[in-house]
Amino acid sequence: MNIQFKKGVLEICVLSVLAHKDCYGYELVSEISKRIDISEGTIYPLLHRLKDEGYVTTYLQESAGGPPRKYYRLTESGRKEEHEQKEEWMRFAASVNALLEGKNNAAE
Amino acid sequence: MQQNEQEFIRILRTRLEGTLPKEELDDILSDYSEHFSIGKTNGRTDEELWKSLGSPEDVAREIRVMHLVKKAEDNRSCTNIVHAVVATLGLGLFNLVFVLVPFILLVVMLAVIFLVGVMITFGGVTGVIWSLLQIAGISAYSIWYSPLAGIFISIGMTTTGLLVIIGNYYLGRFFYHVCIRYLKWNIRVITGTESAS
Repeated sequence: MNIQFKKGVLEICVLSVLAHKDCYGYELVSEISKRIDISEGTIYPLLHRLKDEGYVTTYLQESAGGPPRKYYRLTESGRKEEHEQKEEWMRFAASVNALLEGKNNAAE
Repeated sequence: MQQNEQEFIRILRTRLEGTLPKEELDDILSDYSEHFSIGKTNGRTDEELWKSLGSPEDVAREIRVMHLVKKAEDNRSCTNIVHAVVATLGLGLFNLVFVLVPFILLVVMLAVIFLVGVMITFGGVTGVIWSLLQIAGISAYSIWYSPLAGIFISIGMTTTGLLVIIGNYYLGRFFYHVCIRYLKWNIRVITGTESAS
């Protein structure tokens, strides 16, 4: 798939996964690359940007039989952003799908 | 070259040292080494993990650009914005046309407006001095119908020139802001490295 498509939606994907649960980096990357084929390395810089913008925070948590892992969590403003971007995406996707499926606008 | 964790981290470190502050760099590097170590406990090899992360050079480039754009946003300066623009160019040929060309045009435009402002101001100030000399009777050579009218016209010119310079300053600030917005959008959407697979 086109790289621009993927890159543009990566942010909402990350926000959305984090809206469901706090994740450590590897977990988040796996969740996303399971469905979208993207250079996994670019997700970390994105996480840093989201942190800079105040949408996510991090905390360390012990893991079973290993060093503590860095978890990412959405902040209040991150939740708001996720909600807004999701709405926007849903509307956009619905319009594009309608166009691609060639639905007749005259009927509406 | 061995595609393993140490090498990946080493390349990232070499490429980013000097650009990123130490704590930030360490923070980023720790993310990648955590990624490698968890991946390996999950049974993946160094090579597999490297491949799905993408080349460390590309990753470093992306982090570098993000950092420089952020820096230019937080600390407005000519040096910072130029660094950010130059770094963005490294992300792809596309940006040569869609970042560098508009940026140069804007800079030239601002410079020209500034020069015009300076010239008008200079002309105005010269006019005021000239008219005063005329009123004082020192200079017989008249450029105005009346020296008094000359003073008013010249003061008007000076003010206009200064307004042009001030306006240009705000225009510059506005373009700086727009430029940052555009670079951020550019990083987010346009440029990027294709997945390795």
